[in-house]
Amino acid sequence: MKIGAMLGDILRSLFKKPATELYPFVKNPAPEDLRGALQYDPSKCTGCQLCIKDCPANAIELVTVDKVNKRFVMRYYPDRCVYCAQCVQNCRFKCLAMSDEQWELATTKREAFVVHYGKDEDVEFLLEKAANAGVEEPCIQE
Amino acid sequence: MNTAWILLSLLIFPGGLFLLGSGLVYEWVDRKLVARFQNRIGPRWFQPLADVVKLLAKEEIIPQEVHRGLFLLLPVLALAGALTAALYVPLIGFKPSFSFPGDLIVTLYLLSMMSLCMGLAGANTVDRFSLVGATRTLTQLFSYEAPFLLALLGPAIVTGSWQISQINAQAGNSLWFIITQPIGFVVALVGLMGKLELPPFDAPEAETEIVSGALTEYSGRGLALFRIGKDVELVIGLTLVAAFYLGGLANPIEFLLKTMGLLVVMAGLQSLFARLRIDQTVGLWWRVGALLALAQLLVLILLRG
Amino acid sequence: MEKQDSNGKFIVPIGPQHPALKEPGHFEFAVEGEIVTGAAVRLGYVHRGIEKGAEARNWTQNIYLLERVCGICSHIHATAYTLGVEKLANVVAPPRAQAIRTLVAELERIHSHLLWLGVAAHEGGFDTLFMFSWRDRETVMDLLEMITGNRVHYSTNILGGVKIDLDDEKITAIRKGLDFLEERTHHYLKVINTDETFLGRTRDVGTMSRQQAEELGAVGPTARASGVPRDLRVEAPYAGYHEFPVRLITATEGDLHARFVVRMNECLDCYRVIREILDRLPGGELATRVPRRIPEGETISRVEAPRGELVYFIKSTGGDKPDRIKVRTPSLCNWGTVTSVAVGHKLADMPMLLAGIDPCFSCNDRMVRVNRPDQSQTWSWENLRQYGIEYYR
Repeated sequence: MKIGAMLGDILRSLFKKPATELYPFVKNPAPEDLRGALQYDPSKCTGCQLCIKDCPANAIELVTVDKVNKRFVMRYYPDRCVYCAQCVQNCRFKCLAMSDEQWELATTKREAFVVHYGKDEDVEFLLEKAANAGVEEPCIQE
Repeated sequence: MNTAWILLSLLIFPGGLFLLGSGLVYEWVDRKLVARFQNRIGPRWFQPLADVVKLLAKEEIIPQEVHRGLFLLLPVLALAGALTAALYVPLIGFKPSFSFPGDLIVTLYLLSMMSLCMGLAGANTVDRFSLVGATRTLTQLFSYEAPFLLALLGPAIVTGSWQISQINAQAGNSLWFIITQPIGFVVALVGLMGKLELPPFDAPEAETEIVSGALTEYSGRGLALFRIGKDVELVIGLTLVAAFYLGGLANPIEFLLKTMGLLVVMAGLQSLFARLRIDQTVGLWWRVGALLALAQLLVLILLRG
Repeated sequence: MEKQDSNGKFIVPIGPQHPALKEPGHFEFAVEGEIVTGAAVRLGYVHRGIEKGAEARNWTQNIYLLERVCGICSHIHATAYTLGVEKLANVVAPPRAQAIRTLVAELERIHSHLLWLGVAAHEGGFDTLFMFSWRDRETVMDLLEMITGNRVHYSTNILGGVKIDLDDEKITAIRKGLDFLEERTHHYLKVINTDETFLGRTRDVGTMSRQQAEELGAVGPTARASGVPRDLRVEAPYAGYHEFPVRLITATEGDLHARFVVRMNECLDCYRVIREILDRLPGGELATRVPRRIPEGETISRVEAPRGELVYFIKSTGGDKPDRIKVRTPSLCNWGTVTSVAVGHKLADMPMLLAGIDPCFSCNDRMVRVNRPDQSQTWSWENLRQYGIEYYR
């Protein structure tokens, strides 16, 4: 039975640093296990497509450049991704991971929402192909 | 007093421009303090000004089925009332620009114009939130007005004058009235909060119930004028209470210290309570506020007599 | 806008867009002066077709779809679903997985209740309590982000277990966070029990008797505040609640104040349960294998979400996709309590009364069934589309 039960709180907070984070100027480090943007290591991938099978958002596509020599390019759409890490869970060869650094993914350009992961020459090969209109990409499997 | 001097005091200082500026500054201090009490950062210093500029730049929508003239006139009238009231109070600790015996009553009436205008503005539209808000604004007007008046009459009776400048001078020479009349001070300060519809007396504009109360339909210029009017009232109200109860205002430094001190207390009170329902507000004022103020007044009169 | 309805009543509309509502819903309060004489609810503004969408996705993808039914109690939806699917597949997740599921569920409950405390305080115009409770809620959100990798959609469950593990470092951090939260919760309990202005807005407001609560089918803290001993974690323990029992927390008053007290006391019990889980965390595997195709059958899966009993009906025809998933969220059960106790209260109490059941609007909006005698029950897509266009014209 009293009036102003939060008096202590408000008086203390007058002399305390505000709890507000000055976000774009001061950034708190993200926790180690944060599920940020997807990372792909092409050297370990066997092209089993298990990651694509269970993706709830159709955010990843695997383009096979050369199946025998295990040359794959992963096309990743960060805007579709729901960051659930099911693909990471599914991958048996540990070639997928979620970044704890790339989490500020908002952008004004559409191009940033198509990310190609793979060996440099494979990505180049693929982009060149795509640039030549009318030429079909080698066997895209979703 | 020549014409130029009158115009200057009306338009630039202490009326007009200076008052608008200081109103915005006081609003910022109030918002900043409440934010700090709530462990937030709060707005930057130009935020109230930016709000007003934004509102002035926006289209003013006049809703259907309102009396156009009244709709446009009321915000101007509210601001004009507040600005006029400023001419009779010792702003910045200077002598009031105009003064005559009995100006205390006139000032208090001018200050009430704001609430009246808001009530009329709400009743003018057909919007349901505005109507409920208008009812609440006017109900609240009737509840705080009498105790607030009684609380300010205390010092007037002791000094034996109804002229603000004289009470101010007298208050500077005697013991602070906050010590001799503590009840009056509390009632006056809380009454000021009721007048300005600050939390916990913000039922007339409770956003979670009736959006923005009487001003729901106002946008652009009209809303900006009402807001500035309220800021001006905040300054005048603080000046009055400080002049009457905190030993008068003799110079700018005293003015700044005393009004800001009052503002700190007021911001604390704002952040300390849950919003009172309108029936609780009325109950509080008439059952507690008015009775206390009356009792104090009675004691004062008996002691004098 | 019409000011009066056909019966000449003065109607105050709240929603679909209104500062009191964080999600769209529509409420019509008939008032006489400040007194409410009638209340009506209209929902359906955020129907997203999730149940239908679930039929087009495989069992694993559905975890993440159903997690998004609710933004605040995301984990509990995924838990209800995975428990149901595991039951169908005749698989039991290992004890460590069950314990971690329970841990995340309890952390989520704390986060949900603290969020509610802030929202309800804001509806009552007590912004300081709102700001402080949300500041402290950041602690539990940070804990959840640290152990699961996200602040809202924890994505902890997979079919047959969980995908996250706890190590000593995390356990220490959780304990530290809990100590702080426990102290703060005691403080808030004191505030809501003693602050006279706040009590004036909560005590004897929206009082619902035990009989009323039972008749209206109230669930969760709303029912428990009226003295109905109904908590699935106690009645029908699932996941880790066999090992780590919770206390049934009830109050008898049935008013808004009792709901505050029940929720805060539940938070206190959450801290106790979480500490117990951390003390006796079972070792072993995190997940067992679940086949991609779930055997034919149907099941009901019930869990206690922060807002009350959450029911999932899952039907499989033996494929890699569910045949039908039906979600019954707790908010839906509690709407009746708002409309029936609103009458006779002041208009100013309505926002708090609405917030009092901790409503989650998008949770409600599963399916809209238009049932009129003059229209056929089978609607083609084209008909439905046309109806929608006509309706909203």
